[in-house]
Amino acid sequence: MIIEARGLTRLYRVGVETIHALRGVDLDLEANEMVAVMGSSGSGKSTLMNILGCLDRPTAGTYRLDGRLVSAMGATELANVRNERIGFVFQSFELLPRLSALANVELPLIYARGGGWWGTRRRKARRVLERVGLADRMHHRPNQLSGGQKQRVAIARALLSNPAILMADEPTGNLDSTTTNEIMSLFAELHAEGQTIVIVTHENDVAACCRRVLRLRDGQVESDLPIAEDPASPQYWSQRTGQAIASGGGVSAEGPSA
Amino acid sequence: MTLLSPIFWVQAVALAISQIWANKVRSMLTALGIIVGVASVTAVIAALSGLKSRVLTEFESFGANRLLIFPDRPDNAPRNLYPWEEVRLKERELVELSQSCPSLRTLTPITSVGASVQYADTLLDGSTITGIWPAWHEAENRAVIAGRPFNGIDERERRQVCLINEEAAGELKLPRDPVGEHILLGGRRFLVIGVVETVQQAMFGMNTSSAEIFVPFSVAAAMQDRTFFFRIVAMVKSPDVAEEAKSEVRFVLRRMRGLRGSDPDTFAVAAIDQFIEQFKALAAGITAVAGGIVGVSLLVGGIGIMNIMLVAVSERTREIGLRKAVGATPLAILSQFLLEAVTLCLLGGIVGLLCGQFLAFVISSIPNAGLEEASIPGWAVAMAFGFSGGVGVLFGMFPAIKASRLDPIEALRHE
Repeated sequence: MIIEARGLTRLYRVGVETIHALRGVDLDLEANEMVAVMGSSGSGKSTLMNILGCLDRPTAGTYRLDGRLVSAMGATELANVRNERIGFVFQSFELLPRLSALANVELPLIYARGGGWWGTRRRKARRVLERVGLADRMHHRPNQLSGGQKQRVAIARALLSNPAILMADEPTGNLDSTTTNEIMSLFAELHAEGQTIVIVTHENDVAACCRRVLRLRDGQVESDLPIAEDPASPQYWSQRTGQAIASGGGVSAEGPSA
Repeated sequence: MTLLSPIFWVQAVALAISQIWANKVRSMLTALGIIVGVASVTAVIAALSGLKSRVLTEFESFGANRLLIFPDRPDNAPRNLYPWEEVRLKERELVELSQSCPSLRTLTPITSVGASVQYADTLLDGSTITGIWPAWHEAENRAVIAGRPFNGIDERERRQVCLINEEAAGELKLPRDPVGEHILLGGRRFLVIGVVETVQQAMFGMNTSSAEIFVPFSVAAAMQDRTFFFRIVAMVKSPDVAEEAKSEVRFVLRRMRGLRGSDPDTFAVAAIDQFIEQFKALAAGITAVAGGIVGVSLLVGGIGIMNIMLVAVSERTREIGLRKAVGATPLAILSQFLLEAVTLCLLGGIVGLLCGQFLAFVISSIPNAGLEEASIPGWAVAMAFGFSGGVGVLFGMFPAIKASRLDPIEALRHE
């Protein structure tokens, strides 16, 4: 079990008000799963993502990552866990503008315990950049790269330390549909190679590439289903559409907003 | 606490320099306080060091490294309590002083005998003949311009030899080259072996140039009573050890005279070191004032550094968020920003030192100012670096702590 979360609760105090961002979420994630976390804004999906990514700690509940109880760790320990076990991919890429693609990818190794000297780090960074198909763009700066290329660099950076989980927060939010497909097929390849992936998204197309869909609503798990049974899935809709056509009705009333 | 890898430090220094370079103008302006502070204090210290070496040289030529030792009764003491025989310097004391005072380079006794001087038909009555050791040449810094100086054999063998100055040669109507002539001193024949320079001793406005005749100290002693008077002129190894030399002389003389505890000295040791002390106090005062000025300047510079680092933290909030997300510990972020502040300050210190060096050069080339030797001493360079680095740490700490405490989630959301 990679992720074992029990009763994750997260409260924010804004002035005198208390906001319940998460109200007791349970989640188990096996190695090599590919999960989409969906939900409308305010549903708590970002909060869940931050906690699972060790950027934040739950107010209550326990979270074990790879068997380690990270919900009780301090800031420094969490930083080390992020460094060694988690790879992040963000919507806006978050590449450092003055560094080349290669240097951006190397960044986590600066903070690693035993990151190795230049040669080692360069070699690791080259390998992951080649893996994401950017062998010919290693020395380009972010402003010389297209959106899709930037996100590939970010994915390479996330893959650098062989993370237990790849966390992607709206990874295609800033990309057009063609590029979105490229990035999603890259995720699919990585998944096929055994990578555990969690993608936070509100796009059904993106969720459709995953194997499992976790839907949140008001800080609670609304549904946690294999893709075939989730409304994000084309099979689901073809089934429903088939039934609807058979019954002579329309689908628009329940149709996905995307 | 997790130790940061050497890679991290190399990278952090490179990053700090690249950040400073990317904001050249801003960094320059920020470091201006440090630059001005370091430049002004090093220039002042350089000027002072020039002044000091000039003043010390001047004192030296006036005899700052000379000690005068002479018999002296304690103030207000009745004469009969301290008979002359006890107070006068004795030859065995002279020998002991010359052997057991490590801070003295050399010393010579000086005694004066009144006698008539005659050459051929010229007779000078009531002249003063001075008895000296060969070391006198060095102690009084007077070389011979013709013939030879006194040597140890003249002294030991009590040779009937003498040195004269040009003034005396003129008054006695000696030939142009008087070496080898014989003159009568108190009725005894002396061989003139050399001529010493006449020194225009314009010190303190007195012109003391006059006829001088010198004989070996042992000869002059033999011409007087057993209880004759002499004083000692000693040269100190350097003006810095003047105090030690004084103490050594006092120690030797008090021991030899059997003076104990609260007994007053029955002799005096004098030097022109009071002036040196005064000058040193003055120099220290000026240094302290300059230090105060530079302190204020560094404070202002430091506040500038803090300000710019706060700006940098806020500008680079997203970057900090990302670095934290990929695993930078709070300590790593703190170290990085602190290092950047320190690097900025040290660069300011280097530029300031270069400016100070230039100012020192300008000062040293001012004509007639007598500050030719103005230069920045090593300790001032070290101090300039120490202080600018210290300012970096002190004023960089708050922004660095602020950066290290940023919440990665909020930092990543920062616009």
